[in-house]
Amino acid sequence: MSSYHPKFAVVGHPNKGKSSIVASLSLDDSIQIGNTPGTTQVKRGFPLKVDGKIVYELFDTPGFQRARRVYAWLEEHGDVPANRRIDVVKQFVHEHRDNKKFRDEVELLDPIINGAGIIYVVDASKPYGAEYEIEMEILRWCGQPSMAILNLIGEEDYREEWSRALGQYFRLVRTYNPMTAGHKEHVDLLESIAQLNEAWTKPIKQAIEVLNKLYDLKVEQTVSTISDYMVKVLSFVHKQKIVGEEATPHEEKVAKERYRNKIIEYEEREQRDVEKIWQHNDVQKEEEQLNLDEVGLFSQESASIFGLSQKELILTGASAGAITGAGLDLLVAGSSLFLGTVIGGVVGGVGAMFGFDNLYELKVLGQSVGRRELTVGPMQNLNFPYVLLGRALYHASLMAKRSHAKREAVNLKEVSFTEGVISAEARKTLEKVHVKLRKGKELEKEELAEYTSTLQKSFLELLE
Amino acid sequence: MQQKTTQLSLKSYLDLHQLLNVYRGSHEENRLFALTQKNQKPLALLLAWLQKNLYRVTNQLESTKYLHYLTLFSSLFGFIVLFLGFLTGVALLSYSGSEPVNVIYLLLVMVGLPLLSMLLSLLSMLFGNIGAKVFAHLSPLYYLEKVVNLLPFAKNITFSSLPFSATLTKWIFLQRVQIFSFLFSLGLFLALILMIISKDIAFGWSTTLQVDAKSFQALLSTLSFPWRDFLPSAVPSLELVELSHYFRLGEHLDSKMIHNADKLGAWWQFLAMATLFYSLGLRLIFWIVAHYGFKRQLKKESLAIDGVSELIKEFKTPFISTQSHNDEEHLEIEETLREVDEHLGEKYEAILGWNFSDEQLLLIKDSLGVNSKNREVVGGKNSFLEDKKIIEQLKGEVLVYVKAWEPPTMDFMDFLEDVLANSSIKRVDIVPLGTAERNYKSNREEMEVWLRKLESIDSDKLGVVDV
Repeated sequence: MSSYHPKFAVVGHPNKGKSSIVASLSLDDSIQIGNTPGTTQVKRGFPLKVDGKIVYELFDTPGFQRARRVYAWLEEHGDVPANRRIDVVKQFVHEHRDNKKFRDEVELLDPIINGAGIIYVVDASKPYGAEYEIEMEILRWCGQPSMAILNLIGEEDYREEWSRALGQYFRLVRTYNPMTAGHKEHVDLLESIAQLNEAWTKPIKQAIEVLNKLYDLKVEQTVSTISDYMVKVLSFVHKQKIVGEEATPHEEKVAKERYRNKIIEYEEREQRDVEKIWQHNDVQKEEEQLNLDEVGLFSQESASIFGLSQKELILTGASAGAITGAGLDLLVAGSSLFLGTVIGGVVGGVGAMFGFDNLYELKVLGQSVGRRELTVGPMQNLNFPYVLLGRALYHASLMAKRSHAKREAVNLKEVSFTEGVISAEARKTLEKVHVKLRKGKELEKEELAEYTSTLQKSFLELLE
Repeated sequence: MQQKTTQLSLKSYLDLHQLLNVYRGSHEENRLFALTQKNQKPLALLLAWLQKNLYRVTNQLESTKYLHYLTLFSSLFGFIVLFLGFLTGVALLSYSGSEPVNVIYLLLVMVGLPLLSMLLSLLSMLFGNIGAKVFAHLSPLYYLEKVVNLLPFAKNITFSSLPFSATLTKWIFLQRVQIFSFLFSLGLFLALILMIISKDIAFGWSTTLQVDAKSFQALLSTLSFPWRDFLPSAVPSLELVELSHYFRLGEHLDSKMIHNADKLGAWWQFLAMATLFYSLGLRLIFWIVAHYGFKRQLKKESLAIDGVSELIKEFKTPFISTQSHNDEEHLEIEETLREVDEHLGEKYEAILGWNFSDEQLLLIKDSLGVNSKNREVVGGKNSFLEDKKIIEQLKGEVLVYVKAWEPPTMDFMDFLEDVLANSSIKRVDIVPLGTAERNYKSNREEMEVWLRKLESIDSDKLGVVDV
């Protein structure tokens, strides 16, 4: 099996957004990005791998530091035909590998002399300068397929003058803003790269397919995470033992507080999971914590015997009575017309119903068999599920759209979840599930699938 | 050593549930694992994954505790029902000599009772949820769990954390009911054989209902259909049925019956075959059906354990990675900044424009109003020799304009060192300028980049001016 795969080196002047472009294309938010020149010290490969097999590899490189000196050296040693200029560049790298003065140039030229295509990055929000021509000349000496990326770091736009100059050195010139680029722009750029070399077309096409699949998978995982979270939160019931017949205000306050904390914990976990799905591992957030003060939490006391609720105890009593009755029926070989079973069941059930309170007081080995509990949840507020959904979908859409080149905190304060995002029909489907969860009923598999599919539609609309 | 798990069982179900609570693996690990397996069926992959990772559960396995209790309960109860069946058989076949053993009574226990319980099992199997709930409440384990949870040592046996649904409990119970019933019938059968060998038993039949011998024989013949072709001696003949018919009224037996006492024992073959077929054989089939139902439900619930569908998806979905496996060498960012002057000097011997063109320097002169006799372009496309010549001619105070938006490269730093090394030069003021559109005003971030870099140069001659 051939180990050949296309490689691309992202090169350029210091501080022109090379690392940002690599972070955006490799979906890696751990890359150090800074406005201090020399942030990237050594080249770093970012392979796109499918089951361990590399489809293509991107290299982040340090910026040119002593381009004039390199070019002077090349000219001095480069009295050769154009087809052999790459050998002169190789010779430069070979001779200066241990020279600290040219460490950055050696690092950036190394992948190129080993067959990497060139992606030259400039900041097109700043004016063009002739000093860049030295760098472009050095890259031209390498003779590798190349393209230039116009990165708009600032607000001004000098793309026209840059394009005129870059067009003389590079086959393709494209605009790509790593701070705002999403999945579509990522794919568009890869399609441009595929045009540089015929041999790269197939692997890049495969890479595009893979990235599309990855994107779809992330959408699916996100929706599934949100759906699971909604089911957990809406069906969550907090129970705690109480001392007396009725809960004291303090017990009630503690129970509600614990309920709230659990809901907040669920939300935090859901957000972490979604961030992990979209490969944002170190994202800072500015957000307002979920406010449950105004949703009206209800609590209620209930009793149990041996951990059985009154309903369960009635069923148990009826079952036991029916078995005893059935035994009697069998003894008379069924001539009782199974009246024993019926009567036994009724007596057992009714007995358990009326005997519940007396049994509750019973003590065995000094331990009371009965127990009183305070229950908070499931949440009965009709609007609460949509508040949760709004927050979850908004957060997820920000994560899905957020470039991996961004380092500033995400602003989650302005949660605006309009009615338009969830259509009336979708709301009907969601509400059916919410009603069931509010009643503490379990969801059927099909209901959950329909709920998730409705959420997916709303999420995709948010991503558009 | 862990027991090898190659088939789905209660143990693997419980282990999987427990393992997924503590470990799920990453997509990369799970996909890599799946690729190394020969059998690519989801369940096979799941079981192999469980086997590989079960060591990660450091607490005692819930399955060990649960299966211990289940086995203990089943063995104890199994032994009791076997013994009970044997006792019932002995009691039913007890024969004082004054009255024969009533075959009808025996048939009710050996055929009727098992058929009735099989009917109940069948109803429970067919009617899912209702049957499941009733059986869940009938299961002694259900009560064991409730009671045990109240006891001080409840922490050791957390039955409530076991992931059994009512339906799965129903199938566990149904399966065990078939085993217990089988053992009960086996006890009966053993008692029958033992009693036949050790005693002479006269069988008869007696009922209040108006049933003649012919109809009764027809019923018995129908009951014997499974074996009547290959074992005709185990089908009661009309003669035997007529001979065995007796009435209790009068407290003495028919003289004809006493005369043919040796023939009355011939019923045993029929009773033995009826027990073998209806109590044991059919029960075995019911056990197989219950076992199949249990396995099917177990498979369904195993695939529904929280985390399993994600795991299977990870087995099947190619793992895509885009990130680097090499650690980044982080740059130590110098936080100290060089001090900045706000005013330019009164007079400069030379003005240098680093990477500016001569036209741009003229525009800057017009805009800032700083003039000098000597104005030179440095850096950019100049050769080192050209720059060197310019530096050699410099003296006094020198002003160097640089592009604020372009960070200082090492090329500039080399140039600056050469300038500062010239002893004829008394002072060098660096002025980072913004773009012409911004009236050459640099912003704070750009200035900081320059000040941070220039801080590394230790020279009194050097100054940085922000215009």
